[in-house]
Amino acid sequence: MKRLANLPTAVLLFILLMAITFPFVPLSQYYTHVMIIIFIWGAVTTAWTYMARFGMISLCHGAWMGIPAYTSVLLFNFYHLSPWVGMWLGLLAIAVAAVVVGYACFRFGLTGHYFAVTTLVITELVALVIIAFRDVTGGRLGLTVNPLGTAPLYFQFDSKVPFYFMALALLLLSLYIWRKIDQSKVQKALAAIGEDEVAASSIGINVVRYKTGVAVISALVAGMGGIVYGQYIMYLNPVSLVSIAPSLVIVFMGILGGMLTLWGPMIGAIIMTGLQEYIRVTYGTVLMGWAWVGYGFIIVVIIIFLPKGLYGTLIEGLHKRRMSKAARVSATP
Amino acid sequence: MLILNAVINGIFFGGSLALLAYGLNLCFGVLNIIHFFYGQTVMVGLYIIFTLTVWLHIPLIVSCLVAVAVIAALHIVVHLGVVQPLLKAPLLNQFLALASIMIILENSAMGIWGATYRGVPISLPVLSIGELYIRTSNLIAFLGCLVVVGLLYLFLNKTYTGLAIRAIAQDTEMASLMGMNPRRVYLITLALVGVLAGVVAAFFVPIYAVHPHWGGTFTLMAFVIVVLGGLGSLAGGLLAAFIIGVVMMVASFLTIPEGGPIAAYLIFLVVILLRPQGLLGARVRA
Repeated sequence: MKRLANLPTAVLLFILLMAITFPFVPLSQYYTHVMIIIFIWGAVTTAWTYMARFGMISLCHGAWMGIPAYTSVLLFNFYHLSPWVGMWLGLLAIAVAAVVVGYACFRFGLTGHYFAVTTLVITELVALVIIAFRDVTGGRLGLTVNPLGTAPLYFQFDSKVPFYFMALALLLLSLYIWRKIDQSKVQKALAAIGEDEVAASSIGINVVRYKTGVAVISALVAGMGGIVYGQYIMYLNPVSLVSIAPSLVIVFMGILGGMLTLWGPMIGAIIMTGLQEYIRVTYGTVLMGWAWVGYGFIIVVIIIFLPKGLYGTLIEGLHKRRMSKAARVSATP
Repeated sequence: MLILNAVINGIFFGGSLALLAYGLNLCFGVLNIIHFFYGQTVMVGLYIIFTLTVWLHIPLIVSCLVAVAVIAALHIVVHLGVVQPLLKAPLLNQFLALASIMIILENSAMGIWGATYRGVPISLPVLSIGELYIRTSNLIAFLGCLVVVGLLYLFLNKTYTGLAIRAIAQDTEMASLMGMNPRRVYLITLALVGVLAGVVAAFFVPIYAVHPHWGGTFTLMAFVIVVLGGLGSLAGGLLAAFIIGVVMMVASFLTIPEGGPIAAYLIFLVVILLRPQGLLGARVRA
């Protein structure tokens, strides 16, 4: 029995080992690129589920990625400040923004789709402000990082391998934080708040503080994802990184995999990025739009028939089977 | 004088916005769902009118009527396929399902019509009164939208179906105990919402050239107006539409083109935090 219990751990260790050795396998650089993208989106989507699993559907994670990315890149481009320093300023900015937005929303009791629409408006607001200051940010045309070749002190590498490990570390960090939240009393408090806010506050749970806290943590991890993404792609665009579209992509990845489980968001990121890249490479960009149409239909079907997501439904099914098996075993002496 | 021009344009713009916001408001009031792809349906309508008039040389009026019918049909299909199965689901699932329909519509438009701007070339004269310049197309849209708003008011207040819609919006359970069929009312409401979107599209034809991501801004603007005017308040919606229209036009005129939407979103944030029932809304919140 003990050996069986250790099986998942062994599988995880094996996957981790594979992940670490992966960039050294003599495959095309392209696969490393796909893995980096999957890790970044996986981390950001996991960060999104910190809030979403307690009923706070944020549609401003695109903005949370964009604000620190733009901060650090602008500081580098205009003042030649190393992104290693600039990223902390960017993260500070995102923390402040998340505190302000979170506190305002939760203090005034915005829940459910009021919260979702408000965060959506905030995303659009941030994107529009970035577009409006087009002299500095490049507007809709986007912002390119001044290239320096390989300059480790300035967070620039020609090779993909450093980015691969950074993205992997970020993903592991986001999963670790998910576990930490799940095991702490914060989880209990937020679950109670998600069930019934008034009842939760009546037994002494500080609703605003817990919700704002988890919103800030989520925003910080998403912000780190934005910074790594910006330094890796070397190009930021207000429409494809900050606006509604990426925010919805994050939401879809979370739902596709299942937003209530640890690995769900990651599975969603793998499926969506994988499919996207496969279609782009095999059929070219012409079909990309139709691929999105397909995703749209798939998401609708999943929401109607598998509201817990692919991985979430799978895990639940396995759990039920195990439970019924255990019941049968205990019933027969 | 130029600023007066901006104010007048804003008032005209507000007329069309009011019609958009009514559709959203009806949907929210009756079905309690956020119609996330409303602007996108208007976009589809504009594309249909473009295809019929420019590519197939069908008279404009006919193609406008076809567009209204197609959008109403689209709403009925979405209702039967997506909204009805999710009526008892958590609010967020409904929200996200409708957001996916937005993705479907935008990318289908991208696939069919491409990313270029498509417009029907109609040139209407510009009226000039002293130093004021008024585009006839804006004036027609304004008057037309006001007429439709009036018709909508009459429909909701003077017909049995309108009474049923309002009753369901107030209390679904009670209304169904009184012999109204919520399912039928939901279907009629969504079809009506579709007709409104189609009418807006018809009035927008001479004003806008359309591209696949055209709709998003208008959906958000409609939200802003619904929240500012107060949920379920038709008069509030009308007032809010004019306020937002004027604010947007004046702010864009005084600053940069993005200034308008930025001002509107800021108003939205202030209102939803400090006065969530809106300007004229009742003090009730779910």
